[in-house]
Amino acid sequence: MRRLLGRRTCVAIAALLTAAGPADAHIVAARLGDFYAGALHPLTDLQDLVLWTALGLLAGSLGAAQGRWLVLVLPLGLLAGLFLGPVFGAGALGPVANAGMMVGLGLLLAAGIHIGTAPLCAIALGLALVRGAVNADGIGPETNRLLFAAGLACAGYAAITLTMALTLAFRRPDAGPSTAWRGIAIRACGSWIAAIGLMMGGFALAS
Amino acid sequence: MTLRRLMLAALLLFATSFLPHGLHAHEASLGVLEFREVRPGAFVGRWTMEPAIGSAHVDLRVPKHCFLRMPEMLCGAKGLVGPITISNLGANMSAVLLKIIPLTGESRSYTITTAYPVVSILGAGAPTLQTWAELARTYVNYGIDHILLGADHLLFVLGLIWIVRGGWRLAKTITAFTLGHSASLAAAAFGLIGIPERPLNACIALSIVFVGVEIVKQRRGESGLTARYPWAVAGGFGLVHGIGFASALAGLGLEHRLLPAALLFFNVGVEIGQLAFVVLVLALLWAHRRLNAVLPRWGELLPAYAIGSVAMFWFIGRLVRVLGAA
Repeated sequence: MRRLLGRRTCVAIAALLTAAGPADAHIVAARLGDFYAGALHPLTDLQDLVLWTALGLLAGSLGAAQGRWLVLVLPLGLLAGLFLGPVFGAGALGPVANAGMMVGLGLLLAAGIHIGTAPLCAIALGLALVRGAVNADGIGPETNRLLFAAGLACAGYAAITLTMALTLAFRRPDAGPSTAWRGIAIRACGSWIAAIGLMMGGFALAS
Repeated sequence: MTLRRLMLAALLLFATSFLPHGLHAHEASLGVLEFREVRPGAFVGRWTMEPAIGSAHVDLRVPKHCFLRMPEMLCGAKGLVGPITISNLGANMSAVLLKIIPLTGESRSYTITTAYPVVSILGAGAPTLQTWAELARTYVNYGIDHILLGADHLLFVLGLIWIVRGGWRLAKTITAFTLGHSASLAAAAFGLIGIPERPLNACIALSIVFVGVEIVKQRRGESGLTARYPWAVAGGFGLVHGIGFASALAGLGLEHRLLPAALLFFNVGVEIGQLAFVVLVLALLWAHRRLNAVLPRWGELLPAYAIGSVAMFWFIGRLVRVLGAA
């Protein structure tokens, strides 16, 4: 019974995660304008939240020297993805690809593998290009593209900067062995993110 | 050196061409609909300010006992009491001001927005708890909207934070700005002072240019007025910005007896929005310090030049409007 309940809960969570995609921020656009529509559009899609958080956790856990470049790379990648993605049809990347990115980031975080600055930037750029292209769906015929793009880039910049800094502050790598559990906690988050990705991928393949 | 100058010029060009396009703070697309009672229970409707999408396209729904066929609305003996809805407020129209002018008593105004597309018409009696709750909901939200869409006000606050950075000095500075704009907002709303909107908007832009210049001075090691007396500058320019806030309320034609409460709720909304912005900026400054992601020495003046350039762009544009109107 407990196993059945667990499976049902997993399916329900996976369904919720996958179904979060089509929501949009047009109410925000009408009320606060296209800048805020762009800034808040990622909040309407759980995939953005999980992927951005995973990237921030990964970069923050690697340290300030590796992570700080993402302050620029993620927003610029989102902008590039937003404008170039629809041209190349990158927005059509399905939930399986997003789930794959979640699994990949989650495993990197859980394994605690040290990644250099250049590969980290390449991962961030790839993710930003894809998510920028996906967020282009929020642009309607009457949307001011420039304002929407500025809002999205600002949201990406604020989210990645704050997540990395909070992770770094939580991890306290200089504090010695007494804080080792903090690193384990962050790696545990990685395993949860990978699990969410697996559930989403499984649900997407099954449906 | 040439490359740096080239990059600086490119960034300034980017800033001036990018930001001012859509971030016009007070270009709200407002429609104003007036219902005047001509005999008991019978009203004549008229759009005194045509909405951007055209009055014929507005999906207006009145209480069930009322029969609407513009321009006439018949509500019978029960009168105009109950919900009025506009469900298709969208990107081209952010709000509709509804004015009810009864045969006897004061006229009443309600604001319908996309977030709150339904208003309850409360009748001509004394204000009830429901009246106050609706007033609070409408005007707190209107205040938040106004400050969050007011890129000029936010840029001024950003400039102050950039100069003062944090701690008690920043708390005092932001408090002074709040006191300044609250005082002038109240004075302007009650008609004690009145300044034409166009020159005022030019002055607001100029206040941001001033802050930009003060940042440059500070970075060069000079002690500017804002660095020495930030609270005085914030309070002084707060007075100017407050009159700007009042202009947002001026067109709403509020009932006189509800004006103090509406003003209070509007100001509360402005403060909530301003506080959220200050907290976000401080959090980002903290995050940058933590990540050691700071601007290189040659780029320390970029934010000041960006703020100043955008504000100067606004100032010139607004000055042209002032001179054009003269």
